[in-house]
Amino acid sequence: MEKLTTEQIDKALHLLKMRPDSKLETHLNACVHCGLCAESCMYYKTLHDDRYMPARKVELVAALYRKYCTLIGRVAPFLVNARPLDEQMAEEMTDALFGACTMCGRCVKHCSIGVDIAYVVHFGRRMLAAMGLVPATLQATVDAALQTGNNMAIPTADFVDTIQWMEEDLQDECGSEARIPLNETDKNILYTLNPREPKFFPLSIAALAKIFFAAKESWTISTDMYDVTNYGLFSGNNEHAKSIAKRLHDEVFNKHCKILVLGECGHGSRANRWEGPNYLQHSYEFETITAVELINTYIREGRIKLDKSLNQELVTLHDPCNLVRNGGLESELRYTISQSVTHFKEMTPHGIDNFCCGGGGGQLAMSEYNERRIAIGKIKADQIRNTGAKVVVTPCHNCVDQLIQLNNIYKLNVKIKTIAEIVADALVLE
Amino acid sequence: MYWYHYLGLAALVVFAVAMLWHFLRLIREGNPKDFSKKTGNLVKAEAYAYTTAMMPNHKETAYLHIPTFTAGALFHIGTFISILLFAVFFFISPAQFPLWLSRILTVCILAGAACGTGLLIKRMVVKKMRDLSHLDDYLSNFLTTLFQLFTILYLMLPHMFAPVYYIEVTVLLLYMPIGKLRHVLYFFAARYHLGRFYGWRNVWPPKK
Ligand code: SF4
Ligand code: SF4
Repeated sequence: MEKLTTEQIDKALHLLKMRPDSKLETHLNACVHCGLCAESCMYYKTLHDDRYMPARKVELVAALYRKYCTLIGRVAPFLVNARPLDEQMAEEMTDALFGACTMCGRCVKHCSIGVDIAYVVHFGRRMLAAMGLVPATLQATVDAALQTGNNMAIPTADFVDTIQWMEEDLQDECGSEARIPLNETDKNILYTLNPREPKFFPLSIAALAKIFFAAKESWTISTDMYDVTNYGLFSGNNEHAKSIAKRLHDEVFNKHCKILVLGECGHGSRANRWEGPNYLQHSYEFETITAVELINTYIREGRIKLDKSLNQELVTLHDPCNLVRNGGLESELRYTISQSVTHFKEMTPHGIDNFCCGGGGGQLAMSEYNERRIAIGKIKADQIRNTGAKVVVTPCHNCVDQLIQLNNIYKLNVKIKTIAEIVADALVLE
Repeated sequence: MYWYHYLGLAALVVFAVAMLWHFLRLIREGNPKDFSKKTGNLVKAEAYAYTTAMMPNHKETAYLHIPTFTAGALFHIGTFISILLFAVFFFISPAQFPLWLSRILTVCILAGAACGTGLLIKRMVVKKMRDLSHLDDYLSNFLTTLFQLFTILYLMLPHMFAPVYYIEVTVLLLYMPIGKLRHVLYFFAARYHLGRFYGWRNVWPPKK
């Protein structure tokens, strides 16, 4: 690593010294080093490396806090492990906080005390971002979103082509009234996508469009801003995260829509539903819901009819961390599945105890850590295999991507589907 | 009252003031402002955070580590009894305790001290614990275990162990606010923030 400049260090320490509220202060003071969280983390469980225990990740940031923000850390650093911010520390932080944490929050729920480890990891990433030390691949993903409006830099013409192709497919199945409306105004819903959908999985767009058609929904997709993702959440640069979130927020006004519906993307949903208003420092003036909640409402209100006998294979569900443990949609997901499939088996553990797929926290965007990502994914692969399921459903395109790779590498022989796809398969069109 | 009583009392005042400072700092810094639309119930989530969520069957840190968890629990029980006795000793001398009560208390605290010693040894012997620990961790455990042992000795032989008991308590009380033992306060703050985080998003209490 290159020598850190005083300016870099000052920027990072400024963040640490600012501490805007009691949450960070609390979590930097609360860990008792019991070490019991180790077995809750996929990284430690798989790689057996002490550096990847959740508590060690907290300790990196806490050691800096003690050094620069406490009297005892200044007077007797050896007593409380107060460490300076230098090249070695920055290197350790980059490796552990970017390279060995999906920010899944599993350890948080199980911590003896209640330390929000993922929150501290995110704060550590913010410090690294302030020093310009975001891994190049992750930064490239953020830059693509900032420069082109979507993180895969898909040209608008290509996007429109894909949508038109999907619309033709949809019309073949449902008739000419079925549409994928682009850039229309004054609709009820502005729908968003993970750019992986137009790029690799366009059928999931068609599946959702079929559900919208069945529900007689008034909706549109904007070609200017359809990307639900926000990798600023993971890079730790809140200014970038804010710019990306603001663009989507503003697009709802540009298109005069009433509801922003977040496509099937865990972190994108989190970044817009929970963090977006905080990036922008004001509440959203319109309703923001996830695709999972929307589909759930359609089923409960009878706006769509399902015949679960159309899905006969054994299905299991992968709970995306950002939608379930960090988003509260555990029961909504299960209700939707229960109405859509005949045979269902839970993974062990599941729900808010579920293991991350291994691709969260920006890991899928950081090819530097690919080997680790696949290694920790073995836990998820084993969970899937143990259910005996033939289909894995998950409402997150990042998870889908990771699960497809795990499926190939660990030879699981399963199909991976989104919620929209499994629901669309059970749809009865009247 | 002898000099050592005053010493203990003075340490208690310093401890209380220091912990109050920590507490007031948290209050001054306040809650993070959350502009997102709340979907859960904060009161229920907070109640859950401090009760059911703490149950051993709800946390891997408990049910995957039964021996360590049990040792930790007994260690804490021994500490709580010792703290309670420290307060009681200002009003009732250990010599006035009925023998049966002294014996029961001794057994309980001894179990705590034994567990504290066991946890200290584990911290020294197990590599992952050693890598995670620093001087503060060893010292905090050592001072607390010693506190329990001196409480027992003071209970059994009050005249012989009074000065040394109060000196140990003084060191412990002065150390608490600067070392990790301040989790006596931050534990509650952490549970509070966790309950708030999960409650805001309708994750806690869980709905099945
Ligand atoms: S379980 Fe919590 S308190 Fe214990 S070491 Fe891990 S983070 Fe720290
Ligand atoms: S947030 Fe997830 S990946 Fe990160 S330390 Fe905790 S359990 Fe491990």
